[in-house]
Amino acid sequence: MTALLPEGLRDRLPPHAEANASLVATLLGVIAGHGYDRVQPPLVEFEESLAATVGTTKRELLRFVDPVTQRTLALRSDITGQVGRIAATRLAHVPRPLRLSYAGPVLRVKGDQLTPERERLQLGAELIGSDSVAAASEVLGVAVEALAATGLTGISIDLTLPDIVETLASHVLPQARIDRLKALLDMKDAGAMTAEGFASWLPLTAATGPLATALPALRAFDHAGLLASRLDGIEQVAAALGDVRVTLDPTERHGFEYQSWIGFSIFADAIRGEVGRGGSYRVGDGEAAVGFSLYVDGLVDAGLGATTRRRVWLPLGTPVETAAALRADGYATVAALAASDACEDCTHRWTPAGVVEEA
Amino acid sequence: MTEPLIIALPKGRILKEALPVLARAGIVPEAAFSDEDSRALRFTTNLPGVDLIRVRAFDVATFVAFGAAQLGIAGNDVLMEFGFTEIYAPVDLGIGRCRLSVAESSALASGDDPRAWSHVRVATKYPNVARAHFAARGVQAECVKLNGAMELAPLLGLSPRIVDLVSTGRTLAENGLVEVETIAEVSSRLIVNRAAFKTDGRVVDWVAKFRSAADAAA
Repeated sequence: MTALLPEGLRDRLPPHAEANASLVATLLGVIAGHGYDRVQPPLVEFEESLAATVGTTKRELLRFVDPVTQRTLALRSDITGQVGRIAATRLAHVPRPLRLSYAGPVLRVKGDQLTPERERLQLGAELIGSDSVAAASEVLGVAVEALAATGLTGISIDLTLPDIVETLASHVLPQARIDRLKALLDMKDAGAMTAEGFASWLPLTAATGPLATALPALRAFDHAGLLASRLDGIEQVAAALGDVRVTLDPTERHGFEYQSWIGFSIFADAIRGEVGRGGSYRVGDGEAAVGFSLYVDGLVDAGLGATTRRRVWLPLGTPVETAAALRADGYATVAALAASDACEDCTHRWTPAGVVEEA
Repeated sequence: MTEPLIIALPKGRILKEALPVLARAGIVPEAAFSDEDSRALRFTTNLPGVDLIRVRAFDVATFVAFGAAQLGIAGNDVLMEFGFTEIYAPVDLGIGRCRLSVAESSALASGDDPRAWSHVRVATKYPNVARAHFAARGVQAECVKLNGAMELAPLLGLSPRIVDLVSTGRTLAENGLVEVETIAEVSSRLIVNRAAFKTDGRVVDWVAKFRSAADAAA
């Protein structure tokens, strides 16, 4: 029997599986502390209802036919949309703002170049009923606090304005040109922008980097004042973050297809690519919302969440009460099943005289 | 952050043109860098915070996409082929100019009407670009991946057409081939890793320096 798994799937073994669970507990603990209640949507839904939620494209869904109803079912590739569905339907009557959190596995049909994993553990929080500056600041603050609690260092936030090109160009360019411009801005492809007649948009690619320099550059580009309120909002959100490093990239589009006025990516030391992302968006019939989500797997790979529990070896005949007392003291107890047993990874050993450290 | 920044440069054709650009940006590599026989892979520069690596053109993009190098110089032919989403190309350096074209033997070209194609077989280093280019005009392309000496393919009957870089067209002419379509104009770009661009202030500064270096040359 071989242990080959399909591409993009893997077994999590000790100690990484434990790290995964402890990271989820730490992150959700901080989020719950800010009044976010946990919801648990199902792993599988009708394909059409999953595909109708924000943030999910049909192409990403692993689909199959339900042998019972003959309808097409799909495995979720994103939980944000499911939470939006819950907020807009089953919890539509609950007063706003509604604060919800979640964690669970998601699956996509295909990994990408940097992250070939197809199954990932997604975790996040959504604030439904407002996308104000205060709401965005709260969500970002919760995200940073939760990540810092895991021991992650060097956290930096990259803010973006997902609908900036539409706002600026909707009266001067046809939709097809806007889409092309957005694609080029996303890659910051200065050469192609000049070649295709978008040279006047180049200052947008230069208005990136630390907020202190990028924001004035963007204000200068926005001579008609179309962005004024958005930029004021960005400035206030950044100010609320305190001493976290904040950068601005107004035309970032990676994964911000459904966000409205603000989007953000979270970066940190020791993690390739981003740790998490979020922003403002609409759920159901256009209700404002703002939230963030992250994949716990990257944190585990960076070595976070490792738990160092003391393991104590209980030779045959150790009293049951002693074992219980040791567990109450925070030890993990490993009991001998036969006299010939031994424990190779125990840090301590119980003797009738008390617990001694293993050499 | 004390780790030096790494700039990935492509071996061969573009390297000679890239050195003056680096010099204008204030980077002078150690002597061994220009020594073709040197077996070293990583080189220091006059700046303690900047190291260079010399790799194949396609690998420049890969190193930068994965953040193993923070900056690099690569043609848009390479960027188009990979479509890496983690790479920005904020500065067109205006060097290494050429074009990516479809070519076929002059004998075939004389009786050929590209409008009537439904299926073509092409030999190329750029299967993704070639496939996308032909698909956009409703032609199914069967691509044979080669890593060099593309011009041999039509001569020896491997495939009637090729998709390759053309600068003067001399190599094509010497092998009895003619250009029938241009897919894209190519020039070298300064490329940067997306995460490094957002989290490392030095990268943003270097982009600005290369931008003025490129503007000064234009």
